[in-house]
Amino acid sequence: MEEIKDRLRAFIQEKFEIDDDPDFTDEVHLFNEGFVDSFGAVEIIHFIEQTYSIEITQKDITLYPMNTIDEIAEVVDSKLS
Amino acid sequence: MDKLMQSAVGLLEQAAEKFKNRTVFEDKDGAISFAKLREKSRIVGSELIKRVVTGRTSPVIVYLPKSINSIVCFMGALYSASPYVPVDYAIPLARMEKTAENLSPAAIITDSEGREKLLPLNLNTKIFVFDELVSGQADNDAVDKALNGVCDLDPAYIMYTSGSTGVPKGVTVSHRGVLDYIEWIAETFPVNGDSIIGMQSAFHFDNSVFDMYTAFYTGAKTMIIPEILFMYPEKLMDYMAESRISCIFWVPTVMISTANSGVLENKPLPDLKLILFAGEVMPNTQLNTWRKYLPDCMYVNMYGPTEATDIVTYYVVDREFENHETLPIGKVCGNMRALILNDDDKLCKTGEQGELCISGTGIALGYWNAPEITEKAFVQNPLNTIYRDRIYRTGDLVYENEEGNIIFLGRKDSQIKLRGNRIELGDLESAAAAVEGVESACALFDADNEEIVLFIETRTEIIARKFKLELKKYVPAYMVPARIITMKKFPHTPSGKIDRVGLRKEYIDK
Repeated sequence: MEEIKDRLRAFIQEKFEIDDDPDFTDEVHLFNEGFVDSFGAVEIIHFIEQTYSIEITQKDITLYPMNTIDEIAEVVDSKLS
Repeated sequence: MDKLMQSAVGLLEQAAEKFKNRTVFEDKDGAISFAKLREKSRIVGSELIKRVVTGRTSPVIVYLPKSINSIVCFMGALYSASPYVPVDYAIPLARMEKTAENLSPAAIITDSEGREKLLPLNLNTKIFVFDELVSGQADNDAVDKALNGVCDLDPAYIMYTSGSTGVPKGVTVSHRGVLDYIEWIAETFPVNGDSIIGMQSAFHFDNSVFDMYTAFYTGAKTMIIPEILFMYPEKLMDYMAESRISCIFWVPTVMISTANSGVLENKPLPDLKLILFAGEVMPNTQLNTWRKYLPDCMYVNMYGPTEATDIVTYYVVDREFENHETLPIGKVCGNMRALILNDDDKLCKTGEQGELCISGTGIALGYWNAPEITEKAFVQNPLNTIYRDRIYRTGDLVYENEEGNIIFLGRKDSQIKLRGNRIELGDLESAAAAVEGVESACALFDADNEEIVLFIETRTEIIARKFKLELKKYVPAYMVPARIITMKKFPHTPSGKIDRVGLRKEYIDK
């Protein structure tokens, strides 16, 4: 789980050009707090689908919130196990 | 005359008799039948009648996430003879305050989370939690009595739109507007009891009138597409295919992003037959992508300001269009009339540019509790000196071509359309000026890049992300500008006004 979070955090920081910012935590709402714009959502899903060879279905997206690093990692983890 | 059919909720009454236990709506949490929707809505209506004073001047705000429950509340309000007011669940609280102040609502229906958010505002109205309200008792005699007092020119709904001074305007639309519009829809387009409508519109946009009432009138099923899916075009297509959606009425922004994402090529949608769009200009570049991969669909470009019941004119796309061509907005729909007036208030000739003015049963009754701005926009038809003939001046510049189709050109004023949202730049400026540290603000629209550029005069250092978060306390997220430029002092014109032309030249047109 920690490994998933590390990779996610690194990807998001690099992709969306986020400096070391105390507000950028694993619990922060990435979209509402302006770290990632709505177009970036697709890129995050694409990244985890590629990296972990999993499929995030439309039902997953509808039923499980994926707005924070914690929440995204949770979904990835459940798909892997 | 059927008394019941003087209210928009009469459509639900008829549908419940006719279509009974068939599904009318589905959202991510479940489905509801016509009969069940009627039953629950009558309970909400009964509880409203019991608890507050309802009626045509006592609106009910519905402040809920987009769901079947919202519809139960809208219909519940109508059963109590009150108009409903759909409010965005993500509305900034400062804006909710202004809305409630303008409305003096009879009640607000929300969920427990929404209630917590609203309580500190001390709004002078009753706040009911939906779950509690809907577990009440139906008093069908009271509902029937309330309905019996409704006349078709009473307001059915009020929707708020951006106002140039920072105060939102409550567009008030009658039952007759809804009834005539839906009848026209059903007569004009191939929608029927087998149709499955994929709803994109938020309830506080009037395209939702189509998604709701078309289902009542025709027996179609409307799927409330989970909002989150619009961020993921590929997953959206999966949802559409799995749900067997046959008809959509979307805002062009969503059509555009779907086309641009390339998903239409790989995700077949064999059930989709009817594609309607309205809310802003639909470019042919992206429409041609849709037409290429879904060549058998019927495509319809529609036009209508909030001040009309959803739609005023429409154009069935009936020939090939080059990417650079403009799609006509077409001809008027049922029981509506369009006039194109030039600067001298005379009727324009074919090809001559003028302001589109509209009349007919679909035009709004006016802005709620705002007689002055209502008088300005809803005026006597200057071509008619014989009797009272109210027209709405849309502020949209258009012309009529040789085929009698209307072509949209742009706006007369500083109102803009951004991703389907109608924005008054003055509204944004007054919100920006309210943020701490900002001395003055000026918003300009960069049409080429389709973004708002906000200039701020400030002596303090402003971090864009934090400033945007502050701004979101006052205005909806769609109004938050993409580009922010700060300066210590604005350039001014000799008369002392902000030099907007100069700013545009230096920062936008360069």
